[in-house]
Amino acid sequence: MIKLTNIEKVYRTSSIETLALTNINLTINAGEFISIMGPSGCGKSTLMNLMGLLDAPSAGQVEIDGRIVMQYRDKELALLRNQQIGFIFQSFHLINDLSVLDNVEIPLLYRKGDATGPRSVGASRRQLAQEALEKVGLSNRMKHFPGQLSGGQKQRVAIARAIVGRPSIILADEPTGNLDSAMGNEIMAILQQLNTEGSTIVMVTHDETMAKKTHRLIRLFDGAMVGDSKLISDLRFGISDVSAGNVISEPSNPKS
Amino acid sequence: MIRHLFKLIWNKKRAHSLLIIEIWASFMVLFGLASLLVHNLSNYREPLGFSYEYVWVVDLNNNQDTVAVAEKTQRIIQRINAFPEVASSSRMSDNSPFSANTMNNNVERGNRKTMMDFYVTDEKFADVLEIPLASGRWYTPADSIGKYRAVVINQKAKEKLFDDEDPVGQLLGDKPKGNDGSRQQKIVGVIDNFKAKGEFMTNMPAIFQQLDAKESYHKKILVKVKPGTDAVFEAKLVKAVTAMATGWSVDVDHLTESCENRHNLTLVPAIIFVIVCSFLLINVALGLFGVLNVSITRRRGEIGLRRALGATERSISWQFVGEMWVLATFALVLGLVLACQFPLLNVFDLASSVYVIAIIVAALIVYLLVTICALFPSRQAAAIQPAVALHEE
Ligand SMILES: Nc1ncnc2c1ncn2[C@@H]1O[C@H](COP(=O)(O)OP(=O)(O)OP(=O)(O)O)[C@@H](O)[C@H]1O
Ligand SMILES: [Mg+2]
Repeated sequence: MIKLTNIEKVYRTSSIETLALTNINLTINAGEFISIMGPSGCGKSTLMNLMGLLDAPSAGQVEIDGRIVMQYRDKELALLRNQQIGFIFQSFHLINDLSVLDNVEIPLLYRKGDATGPRSVGASRRQLAQEALEKVGLSNRMKHFPGQLSGGQKQRVAIARAIVGRPSIILADEPTGNLDSAMGNEIMAILQQLNTEGSTIVMVTHDETMAKKTHRLIRLFDGAMVGDSKLISDLRFGISDVSAGNVISEPSNPKS
Repeated sequence: MIRHLFKLIWNKKRAHSLLIIEIWASFMVLFGLASLLVHNLSNYREPLGFSYEYVWVVDLNNNQDTVAVAEKTQRIIQRINAFPEVASSSRMSDNSPFSANTMNNNVERGNRKTMMDFYVTDEKFADVLEIPLASGRWYTPADSIGKYRAVVINQKAKEKLFDDEDPVGQLLGDKPKGNDGSRQQKIVGVIDNFKAKGEFMTNMPAIFQQLDAKESYHKKILVKVKPGTDAVFEAKLVKAVTAMATGWSVDVDHLTESCENRHNLTLVPAIIFVIVCSFLLINVALGLFGVLNVSITRRRGEIGLRRALGATERSISWQFVGEMWVLATFALVLGLVLACQFPLLNVFDLASSVYVIAIIVAALIVYLLVTICALFPSRQAAAIQPAVALHEE
């Protein structure tokens, strides 16, 4: 589904160069639910951005569905972002001047006029946005503006916006980071539900218990992949390498 | 998408009010400038109505001499015509072409009444200035002894008094009055245009009345010289004329020069106005560009987000251009309310078509301006990677 080969990402400003990611090789298969963990600043959001086609790597190759997207032009990238990928941002990124419903509708607006996608017009757009909001339990807040919502509610709006276009891949950057555990569990339940419905999900989290609920855990440290372990969502095994997981030296893991 | 745009604009109406005012102000400046230019241009497009090449104006001034002025004038004209360099000549009132003098008369016909430029000329006037006749004829010496005073009017005067009727043969004024004005005016011919003040003059209603040779007023003589005649002849002419009447003075003007001076009287202030307005406009454009640049840069996060959700770079720039068009339309509606007062209240006595064209021109430039001002910053903002744009928020 997503394949990263020899990815390197360097942020260059006039004065400093930051090596945010180096030598990342990662294949994510359709239907997987993957969590990414690692200390703050280790490059998790950077990795998500590359997978979500929101940024270009400094070196290496990104493939989506077997297509190498490096040579893609703006229009083709936009199409992929719109149809294949639903992004849930670490800091929501809702448009404050638009109501909840209008915010959720945005991905569908950019679908109009392109030949491959369903031509979603007014009423049906509205319908889909309402359904997405119902799914995240926000059907009673559709006319509200983001400024009038709590953090958890905002996050749920962001999830509704990510799933409204029924993308095959959902990339969630700390979807539960700003929430208490009850709300976090609720969000997690929504993601698990989407996963059982067939979506491939990649989620960044700081929360081990959330990570345990996924199929596979990637650990990052200082821009490098230091762990890739298959999990069985069974607590007896803990978070340890089970089978295919080739655990590399894991300095951040207290167990090793 | 359009509904989406309107919602977005409506929800930020307060932030947008400043922009609307700015656009409104630039529209008003443009409207003023365009009115001036369109007015002068539409005047310029009207034919002048006569030809002035090789025509000189010999202005006779009798000064203190009051004895037999009319006879002396007639003799001088005969002398002038006798020069081989002179092709033809015509005597007329002081308001010769391109001069600063004007004469107006209220001309009545039945219950219609209109202000007209009033010229007194002799029979050769149309010939000297090569004025073509639209209908009828110019007056002849035979007309001077008729029951009526022969007059010629121009097309504009005909429109004012006659609509579609044929004016030739019609009488003007309701009853005979005054001493030699006891003769009522009768129209013998119609000419097209007569823009005596030059190309930039508005084509006004005009009436030409036959000059009485025995009068002592109206001592300007239009002299058409043969091509190649130069200043040497001018000196000779002045000398001959002053020798014939002691105490008289003579001024000679060449119409080609007077015409140029006249045009400069219009052009110079217009050019200054255009320059001042251009600077004003550049300022407004820069201001608009600055305001938009800031507001679009501030919305980089939104741009990044929209791109992340599947917007192409093009649809981003069009979104901002669309927003600006909506704002510009609001500003134009405000501006139109004001601009419409000019033709409605007839503030500057210009044709209303001038204002209409000026409004259209100004509106087009405003749309062009906001398009450019929205397109460039939004293109720039859309060209950066979505992740970077989002990171900046
Ligand atoms: N736009 C940028 N310009 C320069 N440096 C950047 C930029 N974005 C990220 N970085 C740097 O790259 C590194 C990785 O950042 P990233 O945001 O991916 O971390 P993260 O793992 O998501 O951290 P957190 O858990 O706090 O969200 C950091 O050192 C950061 O300073
Ligand atoms: Mg992050």
